[in-house]
Amino acid sequence: MDFRKTAAFFVTVIACIIFLGASGVKAGEPYNLGVALGLTGAGALYSADGVEGIKLAVEEINAKGGFLGQHKVELFIRDSQTKPDVGVREVKDLILRDKIRAVINDYSSAVAMAVKPIAQEYKVLHIASISNSENITKINPSPYTFQVVPNSYMQAKAASVGIAKIANQKGWKEYITIASDYEWGRSTQAEAVKFLKELAPNLTLKKEFWPRLGETQFTSYITGIMAMKPDFVFGSVASNDNVAWMEQAKTYGFFDKIPYPGSLITVTELQLQAKTLPRNMIALTRAPFFAHMDNPMMTDFVKNYRAKYNKFPSDWAVLSYDAVYALKQGVEKAKTIDTEKVKDAMKGMTVNLTRGKLAFRTIDNQLSCSSYMGTIADDPRYPFPIYKEIVEVKGSESERPESEILEARKAAK
Amino acid sequence: MDITSLFTQFLSGLTYGTILFLVAAGLSLIFGVMNILNFAHAALWLMGAYFSYTFWNLMQDYSFGFWLSIPLAGLAAAAVGWVMEVVLIKRIYKRELYEQLLITYSIALILSDTIKLTWGVTNKLIVRPEIIQKPVFIFGAPLDSYFIFVILAGAAVASGLWWFLKYTRYGHIVKAAVHSREMVAALGIPIPRIYTWVFTLGIFLAGFAGGIQAPIGSITLGMDTAIIIQAFCVVVIGGFGSLLGTLVGSLIVGEVMSFTILFWPEGAMVLIFVITAAILIVRPWGLFGTPMRT
Repeated sequence: MDFRKTAAFFVTVIACIIFLGASGVKAGEPYNLGVALGLTGAGALYSADGVEGIKLAVEEINAKGGFLGQHKVELFIRDSQTKPDVGVREVKDLILRDKIRAVINDYSSAVAMAVKPIAQEYKVLHIASISNSENITKINPSPYTFQVVPNSYMQAKAASVGIAKIANQKGWKEYITIASDYEWGRSTQAEAVKFLKELAPNLTLKKEFWPRLGETQFTSYITGIMAMKPDFVFGSVASNDNVAWMEQAKTYGFFDKIPYPGSLITVTELQLQAKTLPRNMIALTRAPFFAHMDNPMMTDFVKNYRAKYNKFPSDWAVLSYDAVYALKQGVEKAKTIDTEKVKDAMKGMTVNLTRGKLAFRTIDNQLSCSSYMGTIADDPRYPFPIYKEIVEVKGSESERPESEILEARKAAK
Repeated sequence: MDITSLFTQFLSGLTYGTILFLVAAGLSLIFGVMNILNFAHAALWLMGAYFSYTFWNLMQDYSFGFWLSIPLAGLAAAAVGWVMEVVLIKRIYKRELYEQLLITYSIALILSDTIKLTWGVTNKLIVRPEIIQKPVFIFGAPLDSYFIFVILAGAAVASGLWWFLKYTRYGHIVKAAVHSREMVAALGIPIPRIYTWVFTLGIFLAGFAGGIQAPIGSITLGMDTAIIIQAFCVVVIGGFGSLLGTLVGSLIVGEVMSFTILFWPEGAMVLIFVITAAILIVRPWGLFGTPMRT
């Protein structure tokens, strides 16, 4: 017996066992990916599209053998009910029972913020693809939490730049805000008000309205705002609430009387309210597919999405699809599915997504992605209106300066 | 603030109050007659909204489809309510209030999941006929033209119930049952059958109210959780079992909400709860109710 050969064999076997044991990864082991989105409650409308985007991405990746060609992605989908307590419970269950390595979560920023410390505690990657409060990554940052959607600060700044320009042109003096009374609505409104103060100092905020999340009756808000006759209204109302708000405001002739620039009108609303949405309105959105049809990845995504679901993808489908591909590229860079290594690899990483080549900021794991403003108009290529004269406000133009983030973190301590 | 603006706000309160009345009327009727606090009422209201969407969808090609879908939603919900009463509710009449609450709350959860399984999680939108897509102006105050129908429907339900309770034999039996079910039973009137029909009528009203709500915004899961709280506020303020109380309570909640939004937006819902709490302390049976039976 060749003692040296036998010894070398055992050393190799032991080294492999130690290596694989240390990283906790077995060859061919499936990659358990959790999804906890608000499939019921106020976030149901956007979350359902998000799940579709995720499923398509996973199907495509698994068709090529999974992550690194050997780790099939297994999806575990839960309903956070758009409630922080339920979101935490479901994510904990996904971690403990289904042994997920990453979770895409949530529609609601309040839920995402509640899940963030849980993901950190259990060392699970947490990717926010729809919820976009800046505080998810700004305060108490977690190295495990990444955000692939333009955050509330970026969106507010993008909207404010556009609104300030129009306000100066038209000589607007007074405005009113209406925002859903929860984390995202509050933070978006606060940022927009702050920017407008800087960019158009002559503007006065006349009144703030805070309908609760899940509001179905906006009539009193609508008539109240109309009675105050502001020069314009800035809105931060999302999802189902936004549909109810827009539909009810329209029947009062609200948009004919009061300009409503810079509010969130996503591809979901463009499709759902195709017949009734007022044209020529200047609006804001997060990831409209039609802004990137020159990118082959987006063209393929739209083609495959339409083939699978028989409809065009909303912003939420685009963002959630991108979340899976950002994770895939993180795994490829790390060359392993080991969460610690993937987390480190994703820090500051540049990723190729449907929205182009974008990078995660090192300071807060926020993807430096664009916001989009445009005028709502019909287009013969689509059965719903899209944005025309699109202004793409790049991440670099709308991000909060790093010095302010550090100050905010210091103040939070 | 000019008079037209105040009148506009009054009309908003009136419409909101009417919507609340339509939801709360059935809730109050069921409690008043049967002593059942039906937590599943709002889930049936939501089911009514979804039924209305389905009927509207089936009859989109016909001009009457939009209008017919509303009473049909009431009838479909009533059918669900009838089954619910015969299979479940009948068995809990003599149970403690907390047991009834737990059971009806369980039913609410089952109904919510049934809605999710039947209609899916994406919200539904009913497109109104062209004729009611523009506002009308009453003394210069704008009003969503559909709300004229809502207010008229609310008035019709209120007067219809009043007429039923005051002038029909069954109405008299129902009223008598509110005061003493034993006496009514002693007269040979089958109380269980009366209960079944009162419950079915209450759920018809819930479904009808859901059908009326459907074209106002989008129909979405979870809508019921918000409205049930406000409906309870209405019946607490007006008095459980009192039709007049429910009407007045609805209008109070609607108008308080509407005017508080104008002057103190953050406090609109708070003020409603303050009024509800005050009523509970000072007059637990509500403005127009009678002290609860034991």
